[in-house]
Amino acid sequence: MEGVTSSGSPADFPALLQRHGLYPAAAPHASISSSSPQETQATTILAFKFAGGVLMAGDRRATAGNTVVYDRADKVLEIDRHSLMAIAGVPATAWEMARVLEHSFQFYRRTQLQEMSLDGKVRALSKLLRDNFGFVMQGVGIVVPIFATYDLAAQCARLYFYDAMGAQFEAADYAVSGSGSPAVRSILYYQNTWGKQPLHEIGREEAVVLALRALDTAADTDTATGGVDRRGRVYPVVKIVSGEGISTLSEEDLATTFKTEVK
Amino acid sequence: MTEEPYRWVEAISNRREYIEHQLAGGSPIVAVTYGGGVLFLTLSRERQKIFEIYDRIAMGAIGHPGDIERLRMAAIEVASTEGFTRSTQDVSLRRLATFSLSPALKAAFEQIYGPPYLARMLFAELGREGEANLFTRIDFDGTMHTSGGPHLRTFEDYGVLAGTSAQAAAMEKHLAGITSAGMDLDEAIRTAFHAWTIGHLSREEGAPPSPEAIEIAKKEQLAAAVLEAAVLERGTRQAATYRPLPQQALESALA
Repeated sequence: MEGVTSSGSPADFPALLQRHGLYPAAAPHASISSSSPQETQATTILAFKFAGGVLMAGDRRATAGNTVVYDRADKVLEIDRHSLMAIAGVPATAWEMARVLEHSFQFYRRTQLQEMSLDGKVRALSKLLRDNFGFVMQGVGIVVPIFATYDLAAQCARLYFYDAMGAQFEAADYAVSGSGSPAVRSILYYQNTWGKQPLHEIGREEAVVLALRALDTAADTDTATGGVDRRGRVYPVVKIVSGEGISTLSEEDLATTFKTEVK
Repeated sequence: MTEEPYRWVEAISNRREYIEHQLAGGSPIVAVTYGGGVLFLTLSRERQKIFEIYDRIAMGAIGHPGDIERLRMAAIEVASTEGFTRSTQDVSLRRLATFSLSPALKAAFEQIYGPPYLARMLFAELGREGEANLFTRIDFDGTMHTSGGPHLRTFEDYGVLAGTSAQAAAMEKHLAGITSAGMDLDEAIRTAFHAWTIGHLSREEGAPPSPEAIEIAKKEQLAAAVLEAAVLERGTRQAATYRPLPQQALESALA
């Protein structure tokens, strides 16, 4: 605290970190590697709107090439009381981004004495992705997240997906990301179009079953997507955002649902 | 001028007198421990006086709004940077007050060619599981009064802040005789408002105000100003424990 001053834009947490040398500035674009940027994000994350808000789920596997590094990775992260972010891509960058984002929203609320607007939050993630693009071009640090939040003003859930450059798209019904996502996207499209009900009308139980089945399908063909390890009690992470906030499905609930509805 | 020591002392003394005079009119702020955490309460006329600093730390302040704003921002920046680079668990009021705020305030106060901070602050930190809450008052010259610590024989479960030392002493004397730790929120609001009113009526040294005078003052003040209160709540699902209380909750507690 140099003489207790706050310079620059007082609401911008990443800028504060940069002033203290605690957050990397954008990587230089000059030294682009000859190989094209890494295309695959070895994981499967999904989110869709249902009658009770937005459900977001992700598998637990983290890989490096052919090796399974970790089977308890948490890819669905709580950013604030009503926001979730699911991450696909390089874990180091993705978790750091989630951390910066979480602190940014809190920092904004504390310094500005008001909650950051929904558009502001969505844009903040976009900016982090944009700043990271230099690393993506160097073949390291690609992140392709999904962001879900509850719009308290409009009383409805909102869902966004991004590309690695930071373009943001609002999803009407569902969003997916990661190497296992083609299978999941197909399932969600099929269910939404020809299922008994469109996705936004299904109830909580049904939504959880659909998410677990979709992830299981992805794990069947995609080696980078972890399945369920019942012996090790490793189940996908499933979280729901609604007007009341975020709820996480317990391991017991997932175990029961998995046993009766999936396998 | 400052080469002569006594001139410097005189300048500091003048400056102290000036700041004390500026702060004397400030509305008191009371923070008490209750069953659910820590309650902050004050009455204000135009601007917010109770603020969130970090997950478990809140601040109340009186003084010049510009100075309060600079100090508040600095406290948030220090806490947020620490919480981000290490862990939210590493952010502590003791370190924030002793290593960051107090030295900066002292330096500004004693550099007589620069402006001092016209502000006085009360911080509270919600204790972790099994730990007591901590209350710390920091004055414009960097001096601190803290509720805990190894040197205190009795541990205070409250903190007060006021325009004059007579007010602070009167509130402290009142709160020392009350055990608020088991109270529910409504009871704590009534206790804090009572203490606030005692502080409000004790601008000069003297006998404590009579119960009748306190009741009259409560009615008058509620008609003229607005209650402001916030809590640091135990047992929240989120790491952030700060929650401002809506007017409705305060009115129903005092009804």
